[in-house]
Amino acid sequence: MLVASFVTLAFLALPVIAVFARVPPSKLVSQLGNPVVTDALLVSLKTTLAAQALILVLGTPTAVILARRFRGREALVTLVELPLVLPPAVAGLGLLAALGRTGLLHTSIPFTQTAVVLAVAFVASPLYVRSAIAAFEAVDANVVAASRTLGAGPVRTFFRVVLPLARAGLASGAALAFARGLGEFGATIMFAGSLRGVTQTLPLAVYSEFDVDFDVALAVSALLIVVSAALLVTLKWLPSLSTSRFRFAASS
Amino acid sequence: MIAGAVLTIFAAASLTNVFPQIDHTQRYSFAGSNALAAQIRQGAPADVFASANTSLPQQLYDQGLVEKPVVFTRNALILIVPKSNPAQIHSVFDLRKSGVKLVVAAPGVPVGDYTRIVLHNLSLDDALKNVVSNESDVREVLAKVALGEADAGFVYTTDARTVRGKVATIGIRWSAQPIVQYAVAVVKSSKNLAAARYFVAKLQRPWAQSKLRAAGFLAPK
Repeated sequence: MLVASFVTLAFLALPVIAVFARVPPSKLVSQLGNPVVTDALLVSLKTTLAAQALILVLGTPTAVILARRFRGREALVTLVELPLVLPPAVAGLGLLAALGRTGLLHTSIPFTQTAVVLAVAFVASPLYVRSAIAAFEAVDANVVAASRTLGAGPVRTFFRVVLPLARAGLASGAALAFARGLGEFGATIMFAGSLRGVTQTLPLAVYSEFDVDFDVALAVSALLIVVSAALLVTLKWLPSLSTSRFRFAASS
Repeated sequence: MIAGAVLTIFAAASLTNVFPQIDHTQRYSFAGSNALAAQIRQGAPADVFASANTSLPQQLYDQGLVEKPVVFTRNALILIVPKSNPAQIHSVFDLRKSGVKLVVAAPGVPVGDYTRIVLHNLSLDDALKNVVSNESDVREVLAKVALGEADAGFVYTTDARTVRGKVATIGIRWSAQPIVQYAVAVVKSSKNLAAARYFVAKLQRPWAQSKLRAAGFLAPK
């Protein structure tokens, strides 16, 4: 058992360590000033944040509805979760078939930054919505009922009672969706193409620099590892952070 | 001995249709030549490397990774537009029109470099401002134009033939054409050196050459 866990840990850690071992840290840092990297970083930040806003604004009400019991709910939840297990290349093809110029809706979105945002939102939203559904489901219906009997309207109850109670689940879902969005590759390259400063995100830069300048590809990879790890650490932090704050809020 | 070994052939994406016609018994990996060269540098187990230029095999040769490359065929570039021609492009000079969605291969990808040479030779460098995507190989360019998502793209004449009916072609005058030579080399780390050398030799024989010409490739000079 010990051997198996050691093998597992080594297997999972090795590629991550290798990225940093391959190039000296000073060189990694100097490559981060490379315009290819800074352009990709900007594109990634812009598109991932925009996608994140879309996911939160549209995903939260969706999750509220899907957290209720009604006929056909399971089918809808499955639909929402599908992009999670779909191969990203299939997602990209689907987006092209739906929103391409020759697609169902005949839009001119492909090859634009909007296309990146939509690709990211498509693949990352299930992570948030799933987690948000679970968070809303876990909110004690009695507490909600109490708030209503005490005279708070549905909107006020949602923002003052439901949302704070569901906060931990929402935040962890949001962090996961952000991390997944930052790493999005397959759907983006198919639906949005790759153009430096417009649609070339960090993962796309890794791919295109792989056969041009391996060191740059490594530097971008290292950056993505650091950011992803930071997001994961934040994720571990979130539950304790928000429950303690809620306790504080409840006791005050 | 030679019949027994199945070779792993790394070949330029533009050879996707013709190589299996020449020899369908081998295992092929088709991609941008630069991506394949990068994989070989990282130790990918290829037996043969067929590139859409001469510089990449030459670099690998200089690094001691492949045997001496030989030119086995040539090609030329052509501009393709979707059959519906949404941007109304009727000559290469229409590529400068604003709003044209031009898809090209990335710099470093052989056809991407050739594309930039063609545009430069035609004094059309400013058409590059209309590029909406730098693709990783010629078949990605082909797919995006054939699908109708891009307004125009530069591919090899041999690629355009594989999607007849979906694209219209616009020729590029010979004086503006770059020299597109394909070089092939045996990868030194191959465990099937004899079979790999045989495959490389076979590409230069009349039968393989006639297959290449039937697909629209040009005789090596």
